[in-house]
Amino acid sequence: MKVNISGPGRRFLLSAALVFSMLLPPPAAGQEEVSSAIRRYRDREASTGFYEQYEVRPRRQQALVEIPGLRKGLMPYSPSAARVRVRTRLADSHQGLRFYRWLRCETCHPGQGKDIHTVRANLTCRQCHGTEPIASIKHYFSPMNPIRRHAYVCAKCHPGANASYAAYVVHEPNPARVATLETFPVLFYAFWIMIGIAGVTFVIFLPHTILWGLREVLEKKEKPNRE
Amino acid sequence: MNNLRIRRFTPLQRLFHFLLILSFLIQAATGLCRMYVETAWGQRLGRLFGGYDAALEVHKIVGILMIVGFIFHAAFMLMRVNWKHWKESLFGPDSIVPGTKDAAQFFQHLGWFLGMRRAPEFDRWGYWEKFDYWAVFWGMVIIGVTGLLLAYPIASSRLMPGWGLNVAFWIHRIEALLAIGHVFIIHFFIAHLRWRNFPMDRTMFEGSADLHAVHHERPLWIARLDADGRLGGLQVPEAVPIEKGIYYVFGLTAVAFGLYLLIGAIVNAPRITW
Repeated sequence: MKVNISGPGRRFLLSAALVFSMLLPPPAAGQEEVSSAIRRYRDREASTGFYEQYEVRPRRQQALVEIPGLRKGLMPYSPSAARVRVRTRLADSHQGLRFYRWLRCETCHPGQGKDIHTVRANLTCRQCHGTEPIASIKHYFSPMNPIRRHAYVCAKCHPGANASYAAYVVHEPNPARVATLETFPVLFYAFWIMIGIAGVTFVIFLPHTILWGLREVLEKKEKPNRE
Repeated sequence: MNNLRIRRFTPLQRLFHFLLILSFLIQAATGLCRMYVETAWGQRLGRLFGGYDAALEVHKIVGILMIVGFIFHAAFMLMRVNWKHWKESLFGPDSIVPGTKDAAQFFQHLGWFLGMRRAPEFDRWGYWEKFDYWAVFWGMVIIGVTGLLLAYPIASSRLMPGWGLNVAFWIHRIEALLAIGHVFIIHFFIAHLRWRNFPMDRTMFEGSADLHAVHHERPLWIARLDADGRLGGLQVPEAVPIEKGIYYVFGLTAVAFGLYLLIGAIVNAPRITW
């Protein structure tokens, strides 16, 4: 039997479907973010696990933006004025660069390709930083923003990555350099303490071993009744 | 005193050392093959263990076994202490715990190297043996803890900030290189390659040392044993030739493999991204 709905009946059904769809949870809430095949994200986090709904909050409620040395009267540049000038907060971090399409990442970021992720795991820049336009790491909607980096970037290869895990410094500074004292002091001190322990051990025992060897060679070897 | 030997190590102590040799060489090789994966040498080394990723699995499993072995050894040592007379047991001449006498003997030994003083008369353990023993303890704690943090990074980053893994990685790496350098240069040379012990001192494998050599190097220990009337009871015959052959083959293979790792690591050091 053929059912032909038309006129008021059709309009009623369409209206009812529309009202019903409004009662359904929004799609993003239904698609729980799962970063592990074993455990759901919410098992590992204090957060609800729903991003871009009500969970997303910048770490600081108020932007702590300042441009050193730049003031307008008594007040520094307003946060919004500063925001468009700080490259780490742009939606397109390379916005306005001349001849950008002809440049390679390492042309301007030569040291960033020398870390374990790049050298050993053969990752390319875009596998973490995304495709063009590459958002600044602190941009509100960037996948690299610390509020979601663990889920959007790290968890792709490290299932279950949490926010703390994402604090791992991929582009690690050289721990031996004095500049690291400013950027990563714990690494600087840990490195030099360990080098100190190793250095003291070798400074004492290498000459000791060499002298012992020489002394025994120079000494007339007493031949014990061994083999 | 032809071919007479004196027992220095129990079968359990020899087993501990044997397991330590095996596990240390595997850890050194798997760790270095990953560190040197940018070089042909590192890639060749990695193929021994099934490649770059498989080497990490071997490294983790053997590392955990090492930690378990270390805990067993620490428990064994605590049980060996005579707690009723703990002062004598911990700080007596048979103890491996270092004391001020060891520091004095270190400087006297240095004087002997330079021809300025008489050679020190050692007791059961020389200061360098005590240092080697306790270096493994501190190394195991440092490498073991940082290794566990790195082996389970997701879990460990719940206990500390993720950047702690950067720090743990460098501590693990430097301590491991220190251990490799110390064992493959200093320990190998003093124990096996110096003139008196060349080509290999098989004491730790056979459990007994040449009585004449011990008499020469550790007269205080022999004198104590003689005075207590225990010297005769500790004398054992030499191992049969086939047994000695096995010790030599195993020991020298371990030394050769260690030197291969050491030389490969030094030669290829400028070719990797640190």
